[in-house]
Amino acid sequence: MASIIDIKEECALHVRNFEFTYKGAAAASLKKVTMPIAKHSITALIGPSGCGKTTLLRSFNRMHDLYPGNSYAGEIEFEGRNILGAKEDLIHLRTKIGMIFQKPTAFPMSIFDNVAYGMRLQGIKNKTELNDRVEKALKDAAIWKEVSDRLKHDANGLSGGQQQRLCIARAIAVEPEVLLFDEPTSALDPISTQGIEKLVIELKERVSIIIVTHNMQQAARVSDYTGFMYLGELIELGQTEELFVTPKEKLTQEYITGKFG
Amino acid sequence: MTAVQKRVLVNKIALTLSTLSALIALGFLFWILGVLVMKGVGALNWNIFLFEGAPPGNPESGLKHALVGQAILISMATAIGVPLGILAGTYLSEYGKNSKLAHTIRDISDIMMSAPSIVIGAFVYAIVVMPMGHFSAWAGAIALGIIMIPVILRTTDDMLQLVPGELREAAFALGAPKYKVIMDVVYRGAKAGILTGVLLGIARVGGETAPLLFTSFNDNFFTTDLNEAMPSLTVTIFNYATSPYEDWQQLGWAAAFILSMFILGLNILGRVILFAGKKRK
Repeated sequence: MASIIDIKEECALHVRNFEFTYKGAAAASLKKVTMPIAKHSITALIGPSGCGKTTLLRSFNRMHDLYPGNSYAGEIEFEGRNILGAKEDLIHLRTKIGMIFQKPTAFPMSIFDNVAYGMRLQGIKNKTELNDRVEKALKDAAIWKEVSDRLKHDANGLSGGQQQRLCIARAIAVEPEVLLFDEPTSALDPISTQGIEKLVIELKERVSIIIVTHNMQQAARVSDYTGFMYLGELIELGQTEELFVTPKEKLTQEYITGKFG
Repeated sequence: MTAVQKRVLVNKIALTLSTLSALIALGFLFWILGVLVMKGVGALNWNIFLFEGAPPGNPESGLKHALVGQAILISMATAIGVPLGILAGTYLSEYGKNSKLAHTIRDISDIMMSAPSIVIGAFVYAIVVMPMGHFSAWAGAIALGIIMIPVILRTTDDMLQLVPGELREAAFALGAPKYKVIMDVVYRGAKAGILTGVLLGIARVGGETAPLLFTSFNDNFFTTDLNEAMPSLTVTIFNYATSPYEDWQQLGWAAAFILSMFILGLNILGRVILFAGKKRK
């Protein structure tokens, strides 16, 4: 049986008996996952490759719907409703639950236009408002100083770490409630990684964060809660320190001590 | 001789033969281009751009009719072929993907790309020229447009597929609807490649003669009437080059030179744009 901590504080998301099956797959890739995601805190998902952590992460903004034939079961509750419903407005959902990808995904346009993209999608045309909010987002993403004099330049001219922070600025510019990070530093050097981690910790005052990571040290450094997944199941969810120091499940202990993975 | 020495020898022979073949092939190419440039440049003069066709022996004869006709035909064909090609390529890459329909379209398009252009001319003759009762610029443009479609469709499809999937997902993750993702992110990412495809498509039809014989036919005089036969450089080259008159043959050389430089220029431009686009990434 899985060991899932009962979170007392307010939760941003509730996953209940969630199952996910890829198109044509015989078995579900995620099995009966139940987990609360605390508001304004960082929840890390760890586990060996193929354990389903990214699959779970991509369910929160229904990214799987881009590819037909995948199916969900169970419930993910967000803002009082089950977002797995057929009538869920995915465009609206994705403005509330943003995502940062493994590789930086700067769009082929200027730095300014990248950050303004999500706001423009929402119909914001007012120049002053756009300017103010782009500046604020870039400041919040700790990249303003590096790019303030070249906002009109092509975003692809930035370094990998800068592009990743630009993507974070782009995601927070639309003021989401939740941010999903899918191994956001695995393509970056150690210094850039440090910058992103610092930024993630700062952001939790405003958004709830779920971060998938290969790197257990990263989970330990940044997160408040950690979930350990194995073969499509959530084995243990606990406060990060407790999970790493006194894991309740034998599998968790074996994984964090490097017996497998 | 040891085994190693033998391999070295065989290697040298193969290298020599393939280098030689490449040189021979290039030799013919430069021979053709060389003759064309020498004869073509010699035949150039201002009258070519000032006067339309005239009977042999008239010094006031030129290629104005064919140059303008060619420009009209190519512009109309571009207006037909480019939107259809780009939209169809977009369907294949963004919507059809690996579906049966998409694969069928790709296969048919590949066949169309190598179909003899005279067949397409005959087809347009049957569906446009026959009902209209006479040759027209419309028919010529439609034939060229059809020939252009598979070239642009295929490059668009290929170039859009080169845009990383993560980029599309990132746009979706910001709440973008699919058409916005395609227009704002995918097209932008593939801009250089699509433009190259368009230029190569135009270059492809620029030198077509056979389909025009059936459709826009030819005219030795200046016209902008799209409902009538329209002169083109290619058919004019054919007529003038095979005529027995020295001055017409000179005009033929000039027309061949101008057309070749136009197509060569488009091809080089297409490649430069593609190369610059790649380097930026």
